[in-house]
Amino acid sequence: MSIRGFLLRRLLVAGPVALGILFVTFMLVRIGDQDPVAMLAGPMADAPMLARIRAELMLDQPVLTQFWAYLGRLVQGDLGRSWQGNAPVTHEILAHLPATLELVTLAVGLGTLIGVPIGLYAAERPNGTFDQLSRFGSLFGFSLPTYWLGLMAIFIFFYLLDWAPAPMGRVSMLVEAPPTITGSVLLDSILTGNWAAARSAVSQLILPVGCFTIIATAPIIKHTRAIAIEVMGSDYIRYARACGFPRRVVRRIALRAALVPVITFVGSEFTSLLAAASLIEFIFAWGGLGHWGLNAILLGDFAAVQGYVLTLAVASVIIFVLVDLAVLLLEPRAQARA
Amino acid sequence: MRIPRRLLLASAALAAMLGLSAGPVAAQDNTMVLAMVTTPRGFDPDIWVPGQIESAVNVYEGLTRFGMRAGPDGRQVVDPARIEPHLAESWTVSDDGKDYVFRIRPGMLSPFGNELTSADVVWTFEKSNAQRRTGVFIRNVARIETVEAVSRYEVRFRLRDANRIFLSVLTLHIPALFDSTEAKRHATAEDPFATRWLSANTAGFGAYHVQSVQAGQQAVFVRNPGYQLGQPHFARIIWREVPSPATRVALVRSGQVHYAEQIPLQQIVDLRRDRRVRVESVAAPGSATVRMNPRVAPFDDERVRRAVAHATDYAAIGEAVFLGVGTRSRSMLNPPIPGAIDAYTFETDYDRARQLLAEAGHPNGLDLTLEYSTNWWWEEPLALQMQASLARAGIRVTPRRIPATEMTARRAINVWSLPFMTHLTSSFVPDPSYNMFLTAHSRGGSNVNGNNNAELDRLIDESIVERDDTRWTELVAQAQRVQADSATFVETFLPGTHEVFVSCIEGFVWQPHNRLVWKNLACRR
Repeated sequence: MSIRGFLLRRLLVAGPVALGILFVTFMLVRIGDQDPVAMLAGPMADAPMLARIRAELMLDQPVLTQFWAYLGRLVQGDLGRSWQGNAPVTHEILAHLPATLELVTLAVGLGTLIGVPIGLYAAERPNGTFDQLSRFGSLFGFSLPTYWLGLMAIFIFFYLLDWAPAPMGRVSMLVEAPPTITGSVLLDSILTGNWAAARSAVSQLILPVGCFTIIATAPIIKHTRAIAIEVMGSDYIRYARACGFPRRVVRRIALRAALVPVITFVGSEFTSLLAAASLIEFIFAWGGLGHWGLNAILLGDFAAVQGYVLTLAVASVIIFVLVDLAVLLLEPRAQARA
Repeated sequence: MRIPRRLLLASAALAAMLGLSAGPVAAQDNTMVLAMVTTPRGFDPDIWVPGQIESAVNVYEGLTRFGMRAGPDGRQVVDPARIEPHLAESWTVSDDGKDYVFRIRPGMLSPFGNELTSADVVWTFEKSNAQRRTGVFIRNVARIETVEAVSRYEVRFRLRDANRIFLSVLTLHIPALFDSTEAKRHATAEDPFATRWLSANTAGFGAYHVQSVQAGQQAVFVRNPGYQLGQPHFARIIWREVPSPATRVALVRSGQVHYAEQIPLQQIVDLRRDRRVRVESVAAPGSATVRMNPRVAPFDDERVRRAVAHATDYAAIGEAVFLGVGTRSRSMLNPPIPGAIDAYTFETDYDRARQLLAEAGHPNGLDLTLEYSTNWWWEEPLALQMQASLARAGIRVTPRRIPATEMTARRAINVWSLPFMTHLTSSFVPDPSYNMFLTAHSRGGSNVNGNNNAELDRLIDESIVERDDTRWTELVAQAQRVQADSATFVETFLPGTHEVFVSCIEGFVWQPHNRLVWKNLACRR
């Protein structure tokens, strides 16, 4: 089967999965006693006003009728209107998603660059000094609550030492922000040659990305180490060693063998961090999708919650398809199976 | 662990080279930076969304305003008993008190250069009527029947009944006075009142107007160049979204922002000791209450409600929940609302509580669920403290946290499905009749616990239309006593308003809407 056929098959599977997620989310937000009408109408609303808004939002209709109408609008690209953002959900998602993608991509990228070599090196001598240190570091990263880590970073590097800029968003308010092209302030600054904004964007990124990288690196070290230990103990590595290959050659063979499960793990790590970004975004006033979605859940903003979950589901599908493609390119056996 | 000095210096040099630390932003002249919970999600005062009121009070101003007087410490404070002309320069009232003609101050300009006229006032009320949201509620409370232009600068309000609330209501930012000339430019056939445009833009006659908004990041407001009622010190307001309270505290302490919104009380106590920060505390009349629904058993029995009021440990709530900085609430009305008296006389008395329970047929105590949300920081600690103190009288309370939206939905008028709940009694208008009607009248918009006291309703209704001052004062006092005796509200403490600024900020004046008014503020170093 060609790569196109492979992609088509994946997307055919992804469609019903996304629909299922959408249905469950749609029902879940309506099961509780949350009522966006009361929030939307404000504290001074009377009964006729509440009834009118309820009718406008179709919340007076049976829930399946509401779902059917929602699907009808969805196929036209209309995800509804967020009452908390007072704007179409699509606009809100497009406004907030790039901030989260920028944060998570950098954190997972750095986490991979740091975590994979550490995991591989630690696996060479299990229980050696470096392995013990890496395990301690990994455990440290696992144990730190994200919220606490962010607050401590702000306290030490911004408040006490005054090294970091004020944790107020993605670019300093003293700098003219670049026009939106990709939505990433850093990329847009570079693309438009706005170097002051680029420098500001880098400085604003350091603390949140640093904290998120610590969170992302810990599991990558742990999994890479576990996979690499298994690979190092395999027959083909023992054979390579017995043949007297130099250590760097043995490492290269081991890396190639370990790469596929590591890439798969990094993919799943990316999707889980995408969903877990809300706390870091909250502390650093990042204005990303995670914090927006969390607010939507707390405020009973039904259309926004559905849009948020759908975005995460679509992002997960895209990432797993990319992971599968990477595996397909790296793994001859996978190509043969495909 | 000792950090090597060289490493510290090298890191600092690297940070400086990258320009990571930009120095205190708050040092900029004529620009005020605010650390706010959320960026404004809309600007139309008729449609409530997060951040809307906080911005609207600085953009839209009323025909009238509250007068000022010298407070106990010599500083100027709002005098809710005195209403003065504002965007109107004067008014006349008919003998029956039903007809008001306002003369609008000439030369009041919007940022678009259009002058405020009677047509703008009429258009504003037409818009609220068409939307049928908050503006209509306010209009009904003030019993406004018609609004019509008499001349370019004169507008007539005809009321259904003479009432005391009307002039206070005209101090509000809602119904807002819009620049209808500008708004009409953005109207369409489907949206004749330009509500879409007005939700994303501002067109008022107040001191500021919005220049730009980036959702989730910041909003920028600039001074209205046509504003004639005093020149605000700050030409530009940068409103940054900083959702974490801990981060907001760090920012105001470091001088990166001039103001930090909604700081928890524990932090307020700390910040009062910090010289870099100015904390302005006001015993605002909003009262933290625990409410009982008299339509639902066992609270349909007044003895049970009184037992709960006696089983409440007020001293412990003052210390443990409000950290000694709250003020005991003594009525459903509290100062500075005119006519407020010490009507709520319940004190902690466990023996009396047990006796009342026994009389009501509950000699072995009661099992109750107290529902609360996270709308206000004090709700959870108050619920836990109530659990502890009511247990001493044999009332076993299970505190239950529910989402804010569920709380709002279940306490809505004619729903009233919360038997026992925490609630903040507050309103924008410091008028006693308005407050009592809103919160305790059976038809009140904030009658969240289903109050249904016929005598109280009668007293409130009479107070609204009573024109004789002596009789009115008597009615207001009597209504407070009746409400306190019915014990449907356990009055605990006034949490107060605590605003946190950098130390250079002066000019803060508490307003009844309990939101920050930027035009009063200045930074003096």
